[in-house]
Amino acid sequence: MILDIFGMALEAMKSYKIRTFLTLIGVIIGVASVIMVTTAGGSVSSFVAEQFNVFNPIGMVIGTGTGGDTPQLSMRSVVFTTNDVEKIQNLPSIKTVAPVGIVPLNKILKRDGFLKWESRPGETMYASTPALLEIFNLELEEGTLFEEGKNEVIISKNVAEIFGQDKPLQVGDTIFLRRVDGKTLEAKVVGILKESTSSNMLGAMANPGIICPIKPYYSTYFGSNAGTVLKRVVAYTLLLAEATDINHVQDAQDQILEYLDSGGSDANQYKDQNTDFVVITQQYILVRIEQVVSVIRIYITAIALISLLIGAIGIANIMYATVTERTREIGTMMAIGAKRRDILQLFLFQSTIIGLLGGILGCILGAAGSWFVVDLLNRSVQNLGGVIAGGSIQTIYAPEWFLIASIVGILIGMAAGILPARRAAKMDPVEALRYE
Amino acid sequence: MKECVINIDSLTKTYQSGKNQFKALNSVTLKIHAGDFVAIMGPSGSGKSTLMNIIGCLDRPTSGSVIIDGENISTVSDNELAQIRGRKIGFIFQKFNLIPTMTALKNIELPMVFVGGTKADRNRRAAELLGKVGLTNWATHRPSELSGGQQQRIAIARALSNNPSIILADEPTGNLDTKTGEQIMKLLVFLNKEGKTILLVTHAIALKRYTNRVINMLDGKISEKK
Repeated sequence: MILDIFGMALEAMKSYKIRTFLTLIGVIIGVASVIMVTTAGGSVSSFVAEQFNVFNPIGMVIGTGTGGDTPQLSMRSVVFTTNDVEKIQNLPSIKTVAPVGIVPLNKILKRDGFLKWESRPGETMYASTPALLEIFNLELEEGTLFEEGKNEVIISKNVAEIFGQDKPLQVGDTIFLRRVDGKTLEAKVVGILKESTSSNMLGAMANPGIICPIKPYYSTYFGSNAGTVLKRVVAYTLLLAEATDINHVQDAQDQILEYLDSGGSDANQYKDQNTDFVVITQQYILVRIEQVVSVIRIYITAIALISLLIGAIGIANIMYATVTERTREIGTMMAIGAKRRDILQLFLFQSTIIGLLGGILGCILGAAGSWFVVDLLNRSVQNLGGVIAGGSIQTIYAPEWFLIASIVGILIGMAAGILPARRAAKMDPVEALRYE
Repeated sequence: MKECVINIDSLTKTYQSGKNQFKALNSVTLKIHAGDFVAIMGPSGSGKSTLMNIIGCLDRPTSGSVIIDGENISTVSDNELAQIRGRKIGFIFQKFNLIPTMTALKNIELPMVFVGGTKADRNRRAAELLGKVGLTNWATHRPSELSGGQQQRIAIARALSNNPSIILADEPTGNLDTKTGEQIMKLLVFLNKEGKTILLVTHAIALKRYTNRVINMLDGKISEKK
């Protein structure tokens, strides 16, 4: 019996093909946009996560800035002493620590011929240890690491081409680096970095142009007025560290902060009262990125849900029209024995079928649409000229969303149909039969 | 004495429109026996449609009792009323009232769908009735593809599908030409001969000749001439 009524609902819908189709479109678009949003969102998220996985997952950057829930590095104060580096190195969850001194350069110079000099504007140079390369996940394309105390530097691909792409700097070349204090230092290029394959979590910061040993290039001393004696102290802007393993990243972070915030650290003594110590891990950056992606996703999902709602309104609207139009049929069916429940089912089936069909077709359209959207994203990413250097976004379908979308389609059909169907079922047969 | 299939006792039906009460039926008492072919006649507003609706279990009396084939319709639920309509009464309408989205055969099956029964039985019965009204070849046609006379035949077949004891025909020839109307009336006479009780509501005095009893209505009351 219920199957017969289901059949009748199908028959009726077949007879009103255009109307059914137009109503379907509303639901299809709604469901398809939900699928597209979730699939594209998911694909982008996992792409982003993949991108940042390229960065050392156990690495962290220690500096000063604003702490709290969304810590920010300011890189302005020079506070971490050699003593701090040693103490942090000895913390139980720390594998490696590398100090980073920032050496601002005015100019990079090269001898061209015997007396002629070529000069280029300066780059930021990091004075550190070879551990920096490991922590930042940088690799050498050619050459070797520098040795502490020697006039040796490692340069990036970009810096290698600073004097022209046609005459790139080679391993073994000598350049001259003019610091902002006016001192010019000779440097032999011992290594050239591979082009970074990832948009690194720290952006430009983790893609230094020139890396050099601390001696002889770094000489930021500052007077510490400890007591009455003016001491000259070597101190660094940043420290880089690696945890012993992925499970100890949080521990390492906690231990570092605990040490730095204690009275025992030099940095605590030297830092500005208004700044905090900040430890940034890959985990933290991933979380931040996820937050941004999910906010965007929430907005787009809201829009998708609105289009679903409009689809539902479309169903309700057309069902009301249908019920009104078929008033006399409803009266006739009642006269020949239809119970109110039968009439209710008849119309509820119609709206539910539209919802279900819209859900299924919407899933198909949504799947195709997501592929298209991801393709479009990939194209625009490429147009950015390699800002995101490695790989492309893969379309990752979330099967649960197809199920959810189909069920939502059915529910929307039912919800939209319930009022019109009730109106049909509550009709007075005498009135309905008289309806013209 | 023949069995009494419709037993109406002091039936009153009043309609409320705003503050005014309108008595569509005023204390009607009427007995209709099995095998009767009754014409209910009267001008518009005389109450014949209201009487028809109540006998057809589409409406309930305001007061008085109406017993249709042993069932007191004042006391049953909506669902039971629907069942009584489906099983005991066959409706024939002036405008045929076929379901336009269904084939002739499906239209005939419809009352059986609401009452229940296996698909095979329903199909067999519908095909048999289609033959009875002489439209076997039109089984898969939709109402819009049929002439008025053919549609009314399908409607008659539909009215018969649950083998009801009473047939209510409301101006069954009203939308047909005289010749076709005559054929329809003959079909009704044939059904009456087979034992169906038939109530015919009409304006057309010419139809009296097919019936064996005429009830005239005026202002909610009946007057019967034997």
